[in-house]
Amino acid sequence: MKKNVLKHYLGVSGLAFFAVVFLPQIGQAADTNKAKTKQKKPAEQGNGGGGIPREKSFPKISSEKWTGARLADGQPDISGFWSNTIGNHGNFTDPQGGVINDPNPNRIPKGARADRAPSRVSDPIDGQVPFQPWALDKVKEFQVKFHDPTTQNFVEPLARCAPGGVPKSLYWHGYEIKQYPNYVVFFFDSGTRIIHLDDKPNLPSKIKLWNGDSRGHWEGNTLVVDVSNHNGKALFGRSGEFISENGHVEEHYIFNKENTRYNYEAVFNDSTVYTQPFTVTIPARRWTVADKADGWNFDVWFAKDSAGKTTVEHEERICTENNGGFGLGAV
Amino acid sequence: MNTLSKTKSSKSVLALGLLFAFSFSEIAVAADKKIPRSEGKPDFSGIWQTTSAADFDLEPHSNRKNTPPSAGIIEGGLIPYLPDAYAKKQKNFEDREKLDPALKGYTLGVPRSVYYPEPFQIFQRKQDLTLVHQFGHSVRTIYTNGTPHPEDPNDWWLGDSRGHWEGDTLVVDVKHFNDKTWLDKAGNFHSDAFHVVEKWAFLDANTIEYKATIEDPKVYSYPWNIGVILHRHREKDFQLIEDYRFTLDYDEFYPPKQ
Repeated sequence: MKKNVLKHYLGVSGLAFFAVVFLPQIGQAADTNKAKTKQKKPAEQGNGGGGIPREKSFPKISSEKWTGARLADGQPDISGFWSNTIGNHGNFTDPQGGVINDPNPNRIPKGARADRAPSRVSDPIDGQVPFQPWALDKVKEFQVKFHDPTTQNFVEPLARCAPGGVPKSLYWHGYEIKQYPNYVVFFFDSGTRIIHLDDKPNLPSKIKLWNGDSRGHWEGNTLVVDVSNHNGKALFGRSGEFISENGHVEEHYIFNKENTRYNYEAVFNDSTVYTQPFTVTIPARRWTVADKADGWNFDVWFAKDSAGKTTVEHEERICTENNGGFGLGAV
Repeated sequence: MNTLSKTKSSKSVLALGLLFAFSFSEIAVAADKKIPRSEGKPDFSGIWQTTSAADFDLEPHSNRKNTPPSAGIIEGGLIPYLPDAYAKKQKNFEDREKLDPALKGYTLGVPRSVYYPEPFQIFQRKQDLTLVHQFGHSVRTIYTNGTPHPEDPNDWWLGDSRGHWEGDTLVVDVKHFNDKTWLDKAGNFHSDAFHVVEKWAFLDANTIEYKATIEDPKVYSYPWNIGVILHRHREKDFQLIEDYRFTLDYDEFYPPKQ
């Protein structure tokens, strides 16, 4: 019998990205556990857990005609493995700035704000979520009490294996997109999002969901998705931003000509929480068999199919069953 | 029509003569059209659910509180437990209201996820079938691209599923399980030596016959077989509704409220 040696969940994932990069001893401890399994796990195939490369800037991608490959049903074929390129969910508006108010002194100087990736809030230009005063108070309170949660509402719910929701799932681990007639499906380590491309109506508004209820269609190189029925519970990261169950999100997934990148540009609207709509931009890149698995953005192993072609496989997406949460300290 | 049935029907044609051949091939074509196909194989895409009472208890049972009576779904009626395993099953049954992993919203495993009374959706491509279960939104990939089981991987809640087509039947070999899932609400269980061979076949366009051979030398004295019927959800605009049951314990703490 092989015990699940989920370094992935118990170790690296429980730590902020900066801890992964700057506290190599933790990565090594996780690797010791992992070495007990014979199966080739990501870090053994990949770069040895030596850090996750992150971009400080990224190209704009324009909405235009799709000239690339299409599936039999006419959809642009964008299936495959993807991840964000700038940082994880530690900090929503300063993706490479570390967790806000983090008491852990083991940090290298982060330098000037301009030297790090921009805020995921691309409009308004100050890069901040235009919260109503009461909501901003709640977020600020979360950013303090997150580090020593005295009540349950200060635990980041992903740390309890809750689905990452919109938009957080897009900047946590890498994920796979599969496409079918009438569907685009996102398989995250933190839940599954089924985008319906047909014109069926949304679920009754009384039903509220971690991932919302999504209706999409293609406009050239852009997947346009309307998301409603949010339960508002997922939070946007360890910095505590949120949407309420009255919120509505209009997403644009804009794919480049080469089919190697996309930018997520989404307008968040919720008159009970925000003073005005705002735009979230998240860059993403594709991962293929030509890449090395890295245990985070591309957490996979490779297999050979009957034609001798290399294929990509992923661990079953399990969290709550294996442990009590992703967090090892602050969660 | 796939190559195999084409060959068979042309043999029938020769044997029966031209007059009969015409009508017989018409029947063959009509039968063939009855089930959806993709890439020449049966296309199981859709949302499915059993109406059987299998999840209450795989074995024959009279009614109990909160349990309807059922003749069970096991060929031969009973699970051939080894003596120690039978004692454990009885203990599980007594404590089922506390011990059933489904009560915690945990991934149900195989084959329970197939006959649990909530819908699941099959997304099918040539290289794989991806099953998304409403309960827990658990995801199982059945590879049909000829890749083998990984050697000595972790034990998985859903096991590792490798499928191939035998005519119009999808045969799936599932192993590398952990020992933490149950087979039903009645405490029927397995060990990490659990091995399931599933057979999926259309009875008609909206009905799948699901059969499975189950073995586990640590728990059962010989392999045994189950079978359930799965029905396609045909309600207008029917869709899966995520059921992350395990989050209910802390749902109330989010989001912040004014």
